Amino acid sequence: MKMRRKNIKIRQLKMHSKQSEKTQRFKPPQDLMGHFTGEFTVDLERVRQEIGHNSDVHFREFHIGSKDIRAAIIFVDGLSDKELIDKHIMKSLMINYSEEYKQDPSILNQTVLKETIKNQVLSISELAEVHDVYDLVSKVLTGSTALFVAGVPEVLILGTTKGKSRNIEEPVSEALVRGPRVGFTETLSDNTALLRQHGDNRSLSIIQFHVGLRAKKKLVIAYMNEIVNQDLVEEVKHRIKNINIDDLPESGYVEQLIEDNFLSPFPQVQNTERPDRVIGALMEGRVAILLDGTPFALIVPVTFSMLLQSPEDYYERWLPGSLIRLLRYFTVFISLFAPSLYIAFISFHPGMIPTKLAMSIIGAREGVPFPALIEALIMEISIEILREAGLRLPKPIGPAMGIVGGLIIGEAAVQAGIISPVMVIIVSLTAISSFAIPQYSAGITIRILRFAAMFCAAMLGLYGIILFFLLLCSHLVKLKSFGVPFISPAAPYRVSDWKDFMIRMPLMMMRRRPKLMQTKDSIRKG
Amino acid sequence: MKGNEGAMIVNPKDRITTSQAAVILVNYILAAGILTLPRTSVEKVKTPDVWITIILGGLIAIMAGIIIVKLSQQYPKKTFYQYSQELMGKWVGGLLCLLIVGYFFTLSAFEVRTLSEVTGFFLLEGTPSWAIIMPFMWIGLYLIISGINSMARLFLIIFPITVVIFLLVVFMSSGIFELDNLRPVLGLGIKPMLAGLKATGLMFLGPEIMLLLVAFMQQPDKAVKVIIVGISIPMIFYVITVVMVIGALSVDGVVTRTWPTIDLMRSFEIPGLLFERFESLLLVIWIMQIFATFTITYYAAALGFAQLFKRNIQPFMYGLIPIIYIIAMTPKSINDLFKLGDMIGNVALIIFGVMPLLLLIVSKLKEGKHETET
Repeated sequence: MKMRRKNIKIRQLKMHSKQSEKTQRFKPPQDLMGHFTGEFTVDLERVRQEIGHNSDVHFREFHIGSKDIRAAIIFVDGLSDKELIDKHIMKSLMINYSEEYKQDPSILNQTVLKETIKNQVLSISELAEVHDVYDLVSKVLTGSTALFVAGVPEVLILGTTKGKSRNIEEPVSEALVRGPRVGFTETLSDNTALLRQHGDNRSLSIIQFHVGLRAKKKLVIAYMNEIVNQDLVEEVKHRIKNINIDDLPESGYVEQLIEDNFLSPFPQVQNTERPDRVIGALMEGRVAILLDGTPFALIVPVTFSMLLQSPEDYYERWLPGSLIRLLRYFTVFISLFAPSLYIAFISFHPGMIPTKLAMSIIGAREGVPFPALIEALIMEISIEILREAGLRLPKPIGPAMGIVGGLIIGEAAVQAGIISPVMVIIVSLTAISSFAIPQYSAGITIRILRFAAMFCAAMLGLYGIILFFLLLCSHLVKLKSFGVPFISPAAPYRVSDWKDFMIRMPLMMMRRRPKLMQTKDSIRKG
Repeated sequence: MKGNEGAMIVNPKDRITTSQAAVILVNYILAAGILTLPRTSVEKVKTPDVWITIILGGLIAIMAGIIIVKLSQQYPKKTFYQYSQELMGKWVGGLLCLLIVGYFFTLSAFEVRTLSEVTGFFLLEGTPSWAIIMPFMWIGLYLIISGINSMARLFLIIFPITVVIFLLVVFMSSGIFELDNLRPVLGLGIKPMLAGLKATGLMFLGPEIMLLLVAFMQQPDKAVKVIIVGISIPMIFYVITVVMVIGALSVDGVVTRTWPTIDLMRSFEIPGLLFERFESLLLVIWIMQIFATFTITYYAAALGFAQLFKRNIQPFMYGLIPIIYIIAMTPKSINDLFKLGDMIGNVALIIFGVMPLLLLIVSKLKEGKHETET
């Protein structure tokens, strides 16, 4: 642990120097030119120069309290809540002000006090001051309204952002039979609210970052303050600060920029649309990363077993949960090795399968003009094409596509004698198995590796498959996700964490959080 | 990755826990031997009492292992390569280290060649042996490049697989097991048992890895425990193997077969299951075990070079590949291969049976002298 901390620190230092270099390089020209002078017309003109050419940026000049105090507001059409601006800014300043402060000496002086406006006139909860045109522009462009008042050197920024959000719906990519029907949306504030809503939990910390150099976006990391290992939080923060890219359209970008090994076929960051999954992970001492504009939250660190878990494992009683989990490990095995074992046994070791089975397979293969590898490749690739085509098609056509592709082509291929029926069985079994893996990205990984396994089997038979397995394991034992070994608790071996690995023990027996997370508070249940 | 080269030789982060050390030792001991053990031991003992001999051999190995551990514990955080020169002077120590390095890479070449013989015979008839050996060695290289910790983790994965499949396969053969083949116990007395002692003792080659392993352990004081556990588990494996093989094939049947354990798997069929013959399963775990032994010896040899010449370990890892390959291809026939195996065994008996005890005495004496001087 100490070593790691030291390492992180060293890296931080290194990165920090790099970071400062980079920020210097990308720093916008924040010279004195940006500072407001306090002169109403000059300042307003300055802002106009910056963003006045945009058709959606509105400048509205008016007079406060029907006197000659000039004022102006700047906002972006559609981003800001016009009703709020009309009722709580314009109306307060133009009408209410003159009625209430008739006797105010400042009125008589044709000036107005900033404090008066802030504290007594504007009925808006979110309010800030800026002194700089660049700050102002970045605020206005994210939906706030800027208020210029003649004679006041500061510019007030009023929070009028109107979120464009859709309704909270059931997540499409992770459907459950039992569990909350709630999924994240594209709005970050909605998503953090979903996490807060989970329960009164003062330990839940939500820290905001801004990422993206050109298009600044909000990104938050969430963790349980009283549970999480602080080193992990620092590491996550550090990696996020090092994201140095002009735009982050989706959390997949974040994932690819912070993962440990970008050459590995395995996903080292988990993505999810489910708030309950995120909460579950936070309670284990993990850290979640949410990016504005995407419903996919990221969870780090991730272990291989997590990719084969579904929140439902915990909602159901332990016995079905455990059995389903074992089934999933079996499906991984099938979808990785079924076609390659078929190839190996058919082309290299037909003597190793029962004689009758071998006879029937070889009988069925009679007339098939291709070697087993080609046969398997034809079918595997066509099923991948089918899957990809079905995914992109409009929803009503998708299922039809599956029927046409899967049933008709498969049947016809067998009838035409191109493919043996056993191969069709193997391929369909493999495809179904790979869809039984709850994490979509993990399913893709397994599918890619399946092809590699097939080539190994075609070259060296069963021996090739063993070599492939050894290579895969050699890779997996090296892989780490944020300092946590990817295949723990299998290796390094932690018996206590096996309670929540291949089987899910009864909740009564899972009293502690996963040991590998090195949490501050390890007791989950007294 | 650049910078402190001294640190690269033994990565300070690269420590292993006690259980990891035990698993390394178990995986190291279990290797080529399990396929031939019934034959080599029965040839010498000639009675069904081989299993007693194996237990005796295991006990001797434990004793030798404890001596090795005691020696290594004298020099905390140092491998044999590092402390041998301290102990015996530059030249003698250096030569001894070279000898041990040579032993390790010859042994790894032996394992690789055995693998290619068995795989070529049972799985891939007609496949050239380079095609079998090369990918195997590359994967080994890929594994050891990231150090002993990764190796220990890989062994943690393959060890349970080995145990489960081994027990499954062995107990399936119980259908053709006949207790009469194991009788009489001690029918010819103790003498024949002692005759086989060397043969079975060689099956437990492996404690020598503790010369290096102790330096990597987080808790070196538990190394004796590692030895006891790490040798007892293979001992159980061996006893089960020998009992089942002799029980099924009888003493006379065992002697005539080159790979009696595989023949056992081939000699029974359980209809109705997906597989009718189980030698494929046995070969799966056997190849994994060979891989484990190969990577350990390969790593030990590379580490030896790195620490002798005080250089980064990686060039030695790459450089050893052709050396191991050439040695592996040298034996012309399988009989040559077995002769090479015998030779390795004899060398090992001298280096690791006798030498550690001498060194331990020397180091104790030195220590005593040191104490009286100060």
